[in-house]
Amino acid sequence: MLYKILEVYARPDFPEKLRQHVLLSLVALLVAIAIAMPVALMIRNSRLGALIAINIGNIGRAVPSLAILALALPFFGIGFGSALVALTALAIPPILINASTGLREVDKGVIDAARGMGLSGGQILARIQLPIAAPVIFAGIRTSAVQTVASATLATFIGGGGLGDLIVEGYSRRGPEILLAGALAVAILAIITEIGFGVLERAFTPKGLKIAQKRRK
Amino acid sequence: MIEFRQVSKTYPGSDKPVVEDLSFEVLEGEICVLVGPSGCGKTTSMRMVNRLIEITEGEILIDGEPNTAMSGTQLRRKIGYAIQQIGLFPHRTIADNIGTVPNLLGWDRGRIKSRVDELLDTVGLSPDEYRNRYPAELSGGQQQRVGVARALAADPPIMLMDEPFGAVDPITREGLQDEFLRIQQDIKKTIVFVTHDIDEAIKMGDKIAILKQGGVLAQYDTPENILSEPDSEFVSSFVGGDRVLKRLSLTRVGEMDLEPANGGTDGLLRIDEGLTVKDALSELIGSGHSRAVVEKDGENGLLTFEAIEDLMGGASGEPSNGGESSA
Repeated sequence: MLYKILEVYARPDFPEKLRQHVLLSLVALLVAIAIAMPVALMIRNSRLGALIAINIGNIGRAVPSLAILALALPFFGIGFGSALVALTALAIPPILINASTGLREVDKGVIDAARGMGLSGGQILARIQLPIAAPVIFAGIRTSAVQTVASATLATFIGGGGLGDLIVEGYSRRGPEILLAGALAVAILAIITEIGFGVLERAFTPKGLKIAQKRRK
Repeated sequence: MIEFRQVSKTYPGSDKPVVEDLSFEVLEGEICVLVGPSGCGKTTSMRMVNRLIEITEGEILIDGEPNTAMSGTQLRRKIGYAIQQIGLFPHRTIADNIGTVPNLLGWDRGRIKSRVDELLDTVGLSPDEYRNRYPAELSGGQQQRVGVARALAADPPIMLMDEPFGAVDPITREGLQDEFLRIQQDIKKTIVFVTHDIDEAIKMGDKIAILKQGGVLAQYDTPENILSEPDSEFVSSFVGGDRVLKRLSLTRVGEMDLEPANGGTDGLLRIDEGLTVKDALSELIGSGHSRAVVEKDGENGLLTFEAIEDLMGGASGEPSNGGESSA
């Protein structure tokens, strides 16, 4: 069985499917960051804005991935583009919610002290709010990335390609080794994503905050 | 010097001002304490000085110039700012925290570093031990020291302090107050100090401005005069029924004119010259004696109930009794 699985990875079309999967996830994630972060920054000082964003984000999270993919179909047709739009929509909520919460949870006393010492709004954002919120923001990006890698498997249903192709192929041709090879590859990719972004998250957590986190425990 | 000229603040959508027609002066090198019950507008008044809150009517002059002459951020970099929540930046080292304003003002690194070390020494934290630590590694009292050091960093002539020692236990607070008063003797800043605690106001203030609900100034005077001649029911109830005793806490035994103790002082209660008259009186009563010996400059003085009465000018301190003031 193991040998048969490895045979699948040796197939000439496997690298292409892997490439599609990674590309789809990566582009969807980057576009989602490019959309969610500016929105989170814009609403950072507005309680109403944050409330709306978090609620829309939560609704977005509640809709099943497959449903969003199916929704994209009539508007964007079959193919990579359609899958990209759907995955981007799925990737936005965790980033938006975490970034918005993280920025707003920066201690009010810290912001007041910064203003009172004469930091401008932009300086407060760049030097105070973003560094302090960084761990929470990166946690959101990590959640989103792992979820996107997993959901990209479904892209196959709207002709988006990726490792999901192998699962569908294995299912229809009654080739369990093909199905397993696809599922295993997705799982490994998701784990690598989780670990990779975890490292990134720690790298972007300022030392002073790590000490504070440790003290609180 | 800071001058409030008929300053009022009304928030949009409200017809009741939170500060109304406030006028007073804070003289150069003095600590002016704004004190009053919650909702009296004391913090709002303070925050209008550096324009964290903008004035609705009137103006605030700093050394004769309206504080609107420059941008808010420019203004705030010239005024020290220390608050109860302290607000140290958790992701920055103590040195970076203290260096915030000098950094904004573009000082070079060497100058910032030596200023940071100097300030850590001033507030009683060893520079070598603390400059590279993070706020989370400090106790509450140490954090408040750093907060004060940070406010002093660019040597601003004016400081705003909103309950700067409020976040620590009473014993630590007393220590920080004493230390700050000692520092103030050297640096002579012009300070607006906000507190809700009348005892802190009496201790810290050269002048006290008592505000009542709606941001109206009830009385502005020295602690001594406010305690001896409260000019309204509100003030006398706000300072409390023990205001005569509070007056005794304004003077230290060593500052009294005491009759020399002639003859033997053996067996008499000895009182340290550094005690406040209030604490000395308490010790005297507690000991059951009617007199005690205070040693000052190598000479023995005699502390008696009569001496304490003389200090109070014989006045019982009733409002408008026309009695002599001991100021």
